[in-house]
Amino acid sequence: MLNKALAALAALAALAVAPAAAQNITAPPPPVPAGITVEAVTVHGASLEGNLEGNSADREAMVVLPPSYGKEPTRHYPVVYYLHGFAIDGRNFYNFMHVPEAVAHNAAAGREFIVVVPDTLTRMGGSMYSSSVTTGDFRKFIAEDLVRYIDSHYRTIPTREGRGLAGHSMGGYGTWVIGMSYPQVFDSIWAQSACCVSPRTETVESATAMAAVPHDKVDGSGFGMRAGLASAVAWAPNPQNPPYFVDFPIKANEDGTRAVDPLVIAKWANNSPLAMVASHVGALRSFDAIGADVGDKDGLIRDDTLIHEELEQFGIAHDWAVYEGTHVDKIAQRFDQVVLPFFARHLDMGR
Amino acid sequence: MAGRLIGILAAGLALLAAPAAAQDHARAAWVTLHSKAMEGNLEGNTADRTALVVTPPGYDEHPGKRYPVVYFLHGYWATPQMYEDMAKFEDAVQGAAEAGNEVILVMPDGYSKLKGGFYSSSPTVGNYEAFVAEDLVAWVDANYRTIARREARGLSGHSMGGYGTMRLGMKYPGVFSSLYAMSSCCLSPMAMTAETATRIEGMSQEDIAKADFGGLAQLSTLATWSPDPTAPPNYIDTGLTDDGKIDPLVNAKLAANAILAMIPQHLPALKAMNAIGLEAGDKDFLLAQNVAMHEELARYGVAHEWGTYDGDHGNRIAARIRTELLPFFGRHLDHGN
Repeated sequence: MLNKALAALAALAALAVAPAAAQNITAPPPPVPAGITVEAVTVHGASLEGNLEGNSADREAMVVLPPSYGKEPTRHYPVVYYLHGFAIDGRNFYNFMHVPEAVAHNAAAGREFIVVVPDTLTRMGGSMYSSSVTTGDFRKFIAEDLVRYIDSHYRTIPTREGRGLAGHSMGGYGTWVIGMSYPQVFDSIWAQSACCVSPRTETVESATAMAAVPHDKVDGSGFGMRAGLASAVAWAPNPQNPPYFVDFPIKANEDGTRAVDPLVIAKWANNSPLAMVASHVGALRSFDAIGADVGDKDGLIRDDTLIHEELEQFGIAHDWAVYEGTHVDKIAQRFDQVVLPFFARHLDMGR
Repeated sequence: MAGRLIGILAAGLALLAAPAAAQDHARAAWVTLHSKAMEGNLEGNTADRTALVVTPPGYDEHPGKRYPVVYFLHGYWATPQMYEDMAKFEDAVQGAAEAGNEVILVMPDGYSKLKGGFYSSSPTVGNYEAFVAEDLVAWVDANYRTIARREARGLSGHSMGGYGTMRLGMKYPGVFSSLYAMSSCCLSPMAMTAETATRIEGMSQEDIAKADFGGLAQLSTLATWSPDPTAPPNYIDTGLTDDGKIDPLVNAKLAANAILAMIPQHLPALKAMNAIGLEAGDKDFLLAQNVAMHEELARYGVAHEWGTYDGDHGNRIAARIRTELLPFFGRHLDHGN
């Protein structure tokens, strides 16, 4: 537990104080309890081929198998896909979340899952789990390429009823947008501390600053700027505008002044879970269950409360919790004690 | 032309007198199907939807033959009957068949209480997009001798139906393989103003019932893209706040449903199409946004055919279906030969 708390602090520190250093959060390898098998596999994403940023189409995924997997060779298992946040890769998120212990704890209580943590780190620090020709079609990668790979390489319950989707921060955002885009693939979804819920807007000043970041200085531009650039390339790609291959949200007026480009902001709105709910009510209602939570000291609590209220307004049943915590300090514990038990209640557990 | 005319007359007679008899000419039939996706909408739009189904000549005589299907989505402020009266689809399908392009044509009912569901998904209006792309397609495949795969399904439409063509094409690339959008509406993001929101909130049910096109269209798009199930009787959120401003989230919701805003997230789907055709009249009041869509697709490297013609928004629809739309699908759909 101390180890976990220290890691959380380290992550926070990395977020807050080291904009010029290496940008991505790391965590030491986690304990792997007896009986748990972890396999690091490489999944080829046809959906990621040809992206303009040069992000690899071959992605690592950490696959955590429950204790009975090796002993019961005919048993099939539900799968929880777990999406990482911004400025971290899949393996370090798996490390930080102590996924093997979470799988072991739940198995000890009779809840056996396969948990899959895919890597979607990109040049800009995160894919935003969007379908961008610049970044790669990460929505399709998760919902089709990855799911197909896992179903064909492991003894899964290869139907919608056997699949859960969850994630933290950008991964919570990914849970919302992939869930709404591919409701036929997943049975239930849970978003932890989801980011990027409300439509993102800019001022002339902020948009100008974004467009002025040299392409080779993105890593040193700070967490917020880097996240803005990652969002921009994910949501408003432009194959004809190197080196970012993006439409920045700024345009020149005829009189030489500059203005925020409303069409770019509209393209961003098309990627806002809060703006998407009203047009995806059928998809959201089709889920067996939906859950969302956030810490009471998380800066994203307002945003996450808004999507909770939006779901309520549309009569979409969901679990919702505000707990004592920050953006990171309780998330591993919540995954173990709340998120996996939630999926055990709703997924086809195979027996 | 005389042959075609006689064909129409014969088809008309066949409809009246002997629907089960041999089919020498294209035949139009009105059918009704139940759409699960449309159940429970708050406007009370029926889940039992009509559709016009036109089968090509020879359909009855060749019981082993299967056909590609062209889906056609009608425009706003219109019923499918009004489009059939204007376009005479059995005549158009007959003409295409005579040119060697044998297709089944299906036009579903996209009408609503507020005169159009925009082929979108709204708890207020109904889930028209799943009605068309899921329920209707499954029903047609189950009840007609179709070539039941995406390579043999084309999607097309006019105005609101052009919007629906682009929207459903982007969202259901596994269902349709080619798209033809005529004079599409609703491509650029709309934005509510306090003035418009105030006007709409002031409309009584009587005002709504007698509103003209301009008076109703914005209410209708709000019902579609900014629904609010907690706000009877119209179940819409105009975005008007107590201090007379507009909630930016409402404009974000409208923007999120604009084709120009949707395109960048759906490029893989658009690039998966065998063919895309776009057109508008050179005097069409929607010309500028159709040009913008053409330019946007070109900028993104999405191959498509594009043309303007001498006409306005509605005066050449029947002719363009014959000279452009059906031949386009003749070139691009799998005819099973």
